[in-house]
Amino acid sequence: MANVLRNSAKFGFSGVLSQLSIHSRHGRECVSPCFSLQQRNNSTSPKIKVDLDSSTGVAVLRMQSPPVNSLSLDFLTEFCINLEKLEMDRSCRGLIITSTLSKVFSAGLDIMEMYGKSPERCGEFWKAVQEMWLKLYGSNMVTMAAINGSSPAGGCLMSLGCDYRIMADNPRYSIGLNETQLGIVAPFWFKDTLVNTVGNRAAELSLELGLLYSAPDALKIGLVDQLVPEDQVLSTAQDTMSKWLAVPDHARQIDQCVISVCIYYINTSPLPPDHARQIDQCVISVCI
Amino acid sequence: MANVLRNSAKFGFSGVLSQLSIHSRHGRECVSPCFSLQQRNNSTSPKIKVDLDSSTGVAVLRMQSPPVNSLSLDFLTEFCINLEKLEMDRSCRGLIITSTLSKVFSAGLDIMEMYGKSPERCGEFWKAVQEMWLKLYGSNMVTMAAINGSSPAGGCLMSLGCDYRIMADNPRYSIGLNETQLGIVAPFWFKDTLVNTVGNRAAELSLELGLLYSAPDALKIGLVDQLVPEDQVLSTAQDTMSKWLAVPDHARQITKSMMRKPTIDKLLSNREADITNFVSFITKDSIQKSLRMYLEMLKSRKA
Repeated sequence: MANVLRNSAKFGFSGVLSQLSIHSRHGRECVSPCFSLQQRNNSTSPKIKVDLDSSTGVAVLRMQSPPVNSLSLDFLTEFCINLEKLEMDRSCRGLIITSTLSKVFSAGLDIMEMYGKSPERCGEFWKAVQEMWLKLYGSNMVTMAAINGSSPAGGCLMSLGCDYRIMADNPRYSIGLNETQLGIVAPFWFKDTLVNTVGNRAAELSLELGLLYSAPDALKIGLVDQLVPEDQVLSTAQDTMSKWLAVPDHARQIDQCVISVCIYYINTSPLPPDHARQIDQCVISVCI
Repeated sequence: MANVLRNSAKFGFSGVLSQLSIHSRHGRECVSPCFSLQQRNNSTSPKIKVDLDSSTGVAVLRMQSPPVNSLSLDFLTEFCINLEKLEMDRSCRGLIITSTLSKVFSAGLDIMEMYGKSPERCGEFWKAVQEMWLKLYGSNMVTMAAINGSSPAGGCLMSLGCDYRIMADNPRYSIGLNETQLGIVAPFWFKDTLVNTVGNRAAELSLELGLLYSAPDALKIGLVDQLVPEDQVLSTAQDTMSKWLAVPDHARQITKSMMRKPTIDKLLSNREADITNFVSFITKDSIQKSLRMYLEMLKSRKA
């Protein structure tokens, strides 16, 4: 309980949901269910830190809003502003989203944005949630979620909005759309994103029961794409990202026979003959 | 053969289909293909028995229509009446469907409802099949199929209408939509339900070939959700049911409706056309001839 009090602060809505989930009592790393009004963090320190490497064209967006990266109106506004800047930046081709907070990626929607607020304020909040998803799911960049902690509800939605999800291989971390556990219903576009990722049947089961999956189970159903040791989540995302970015459009248009020639020569030694060496380096890396 | 004769009686259309399936000859527990006109059961004993436990809010619906729980007009009517009663009963939150008959869950649609019947009668029958699916697939209750036997065609459809399927871990039991094996076509809403469950590719393969899956194979493709020893099917369903009922009702119901409404609406907006299609197809001379030949074949096997 002391630990819970220490972690008290503004707390994600979905963190509450995670406590009520079926699986939360099985040694799973629950996001703290407490919050305290006194410790509510209203400072103007940035909730999000973005580092863009112009040489690689990859931006890393780090969520750093203690205690649990709750998706508040402020957070979502900052998130969308950052996303828009990166989208406009011609030197930015890929985006990796991760968390600086231990054990949590994002606990989801901030319950304080929904409790005791005027309808207008609630509407403003919901529009920001929609905006986050629209910008992320519809981004032209390659987007990857480096999920280095638990990620219920809104956190899960954010990761589902990405092209690819790498999660820490820790059975104590959980991820899922667990809205029904708190008696609410995931909006249709949450459902659509889940169906697009894991298929209709798995989505129906997951949503009706409000399931939170351990990282290994999430991999099994395809909710995440890859599991790696926790200290390799970000580096794996960066490696995977460079593979995704290694295929510029024009290379995809290269005649198939050129690619197969490339493969043949790379599989044999000695060095490939002239015409293979003339092939764009990115094509060769695709072949390999 | 003696065993088959002993099991003769009114027989499900899809049980016929099960005999023709690719897998039926590989040691699979085929639903009996025979039927006998003399033994046709026209009694008024209930084909369905429902026990509602008001303290848990869970009803168990037992299909008890020998020999194979065929979906006849009478059976479907009784099924729908029971379902409606439970749906209206506020104390009932969950429904488990199972069979009292050994080795068979339901053999599917009753062939005698389609052979030598007037178009009007065929239409009445088809409407009842639609009604069964609409009520089950769209139910607000948590629905589970405790599949303790083989379940071809219509039986498979019934289990697909549920939220969750637990099957007996017996490779001799089979389940699937095997209509094409008898030269007919599963209606679009059978197909939709299957696609929603196993995905498009698996559904295409399954329907085109009219596949019947053994219980282990059914689990592999996600046609059923869980396999347990046969004597634990019902108890597992009851345990699983209490986990499902621990989720707040209204949230679960709205979520279920959001997922299933488009599929249901598709039939609702095409209901009459679907009946017309079925009637004109099934009353075709060529189809009636196939049915007649099949029935004669069964009779001669008995003789």
